[in-house]
Amino acid sequence: MFVSDFRKEFYEVVQSQRVLLFVASDVDALCACKILQALFQCDHVQYTLVPVSGWQELETAFLEHKEQFRYFILINCGANVDLLDILQPDEDTTFFVCDTHRPVNVVNVYNDTQIKLLIKQDDDLEVPAYDDIFRDEEEDEEHSGNDSDGSEPSEKRTRLEEEVVEQTMRRRQQREWEARRRDILFDYEQYEYHGTSSAMVMFDLAWMMSKDLNDMLWWAIIGLTDQWVQDKITQMKYVTDVGVLQRHVSRHNHRNEDEENTLSVDCTRISFEYDLRLALYQHWSLHDSLCNTSYTASRFKLWSVHGQKRLQEFLADMGLPLKQVKQKFQSMDVSLKENLREMIEESANKFGMKDMRMQTFSIHFGFKHKFLASDVVFATMSLMDSPEKDGSGTDHFIQALDSLSRSNLDKLYHGLELAKKQLRATQQTIASCLCTNLVISQGPFLYCSLMEGTPDVMLFSKPASLSLLSRHLLKSFVFSTKNRRCKLLPLVMAAPLSVEQGTVTVMGIPPETDSSDRKNFFGRAFEKAAESTSSRTLHNHFDLSVIELKAEDRSKFLDALVSLLS
Amino acid sequence: MKALYEQNQSDVNEAKSAGRSDLIPTIKFRHCSLLRNRRCTIAYLYDRLLRIRALRWEYGSVLPSSLRFHMSSEEMEWFNQYKKSLATYMRSLGGEEGLDITQDMKPPKSLYIEVRCLKDYGEFEVDDGTSVLLKKNSQHFLPRWKCEQLIRQGVLEHILS
Repeated sequence: MFVSDFRKEFYEVVQSQRVLLFVASDVDALCACKILQALFQCDHVQYTLVPVSGWQELETAFLEHKEQFRYFILINCGANVDLLDILQPDEDTTFFVCDTHRPVNVVNVYNDTQIKLLIKQDDDLEVPAYDDIFRDEEEDEEHSGNDSDGSEPSEKRTRLEEEVVEQTMRRRQQREWEARRRDILFDYEQYEYHGTSSAMVMFDLAWMMSKDLNDMLWWAIIGLTDQWVQDKITQMKYVTDVGVLQRHVSRHNHRNEDEENTLSVDCTRISFEYDLRLALYQHWSLHDSLCNTSYTASRFKLWSVHGQKRLQEFLADMGLPLKQVKQKFQSMDVSLKENLREMIEESANKFGMKDMRMQTFSIHFGFKHKFLASDVVFATMSLMDSPEKDGSGTDHFIQALDSLSRSNLDKLYHGLELAKKQLRATQQTIASCLCTNLVISQGPFLYCSLMEGTPDVMLFSKPASLSLLSRHLLKSFVFSTKNRRCKLLPLVMAAPLSVEQGTVTVMGIPPETDSSDRKNFFGRAFEKAAESTSSRTLHNHFDLSVIELKAEDRSKFLDALVSLLS
Repeated sequence: MKALYEQNQSDVNEAKSAGRSDLIPTIKFRHCSLLRNRRCTIAYLYDRLLRIRALRWEYGSVLPSSLRFHMSSEEMEWFNQYKKSLATYMRSLGGEEGLDITQDMKPPKSLYIEVRCLKDYGEFEVDDGTSVLLKKNSQHFLPRWKCEQLIRQGVLEHILS
């Protein structure tokens, strides 16, 4: 059921108990976790934090801990499947689920006792009504119980005929109801999408209790920016949420706008910026940033020689000398940096890039440290997905979690370096895929498969980095192809996961249009295709559109998918 | 040392009986080396004693069996005596109940601390009877006094945010 008053029904229940937090492995979940941790530390709530990266880990961890805890909080996992069925908990365990995955499974919505959803009900959910899906089975038995009351034999015959007629009517109604139910559920569960960021939901809870701080606000901003960077929400929703956060930012940071009573330089300051869309540009050189941001790289078509020339023209148009542009941004001439944003926006308009600037936030503390929200998102994402094999996935989770605190700036800078490597590798892989025409049209969708020998292919084994690569590849492909039909097709991407086990990760991306609603139908499609061909798949990730598949079953799986979607 | 001592003894006897005074420097030399060896062994034993004393502060009153294996029976005896005198001292402080001075080696800043588990430890019992499973890389928010022992042993790591 949906929790209406977060404070009374969630926080005050949990405050006197020990809880277990299951946190999924994405940046939004990390931010929500940090906010919740800060609140719990304030109120001395004893908790245990367990990172999980897939359904199997969730189940094992639940089995290990279920005797010790009665209250479980799941962050960014668990809303889109039947939790009670998968976890089989005891009667007195309660789950609080704060998840952005939609659609929320109907069992989770209508269970009144054990599952509480920390989701706002006006979050465009469109849950089907109770009566359309569930029906008490007792009604049928009552009817059949009334049958054997027959007294006289002469009346019995007519009554028998009536009963037969009634039963056929009921059966037909039952069949119609079931068919309608199947349709409703199919429509409801067909498309996957994402709702409001969990970090923002947690920040809202903190604000309701008047325990919100600037740090928590920054984490909420990062959670929202992560959703935007990974294309999980529409542009409209992003702008609306930015507006909501902007009010909080001005509430916490208005002291800096007054010239006379400013705070010391060491205090954290968050400010709203209408800044350039270039990834990591303040920590890199401007040229590198222009080459490795998907927005500019795809529109300039930087994989071709012609594209490189256009980039040079663009820089020349703004009057920026090449030597300046290729050195670190912080060492560029101050006179050039002053009007940089407006200059770039103007020139970008001439070259067909209308949305060069976006609404975002930045944080400063001290003289040296200034970060944009997207910088931190890229850094944390790279820390979490880094392929270094030192220890298990949870080590990386812990590193990424640490990098979000202000006292661990060295980890954040390390993350920024990893992010630069990741972005460069992404662009190089995209360039090679497009130049060698690896993106093929299979009919209802485009298909691209990374070979094992590709350089840096291990960087793309985790779903978040693979998703970034696939989306950027699709965007670049849309600009490189002349076939109008191909521009509207979705993409299925395959990358090798583990050489020893011979598995590949397969991921489906919805088509790229300007006003797309980011709804992804590949989750159900993959399930059906796997069933029909009995391929060996593992639907381990919380996002149902990412699966693991045995390499040998790849071709029959694809054939089944083609026939399913055409 | 025994070998040196015996050699010295035989030389002394010889010097006394046979009147060979040229053996006297050898005797003196061996005696000096005997004294030095004795000093070294005593220093070693004293250092062991100091370490055993530190073990009481690190591990509490019950030592793990792997450590007890390496200690001689006299050292165990000494350890028990030390434990007793420390306990008597602690009881004599702080009014009726006594004060456990092996806790809170540094002034505590808060009642509960955030800890991260560095190795798999297993179940750990908390005050209200329930237990927490300490697995590698899980983070917990627990009362300070329960965690101190484990932090000192290196199983948990205190996280400052």
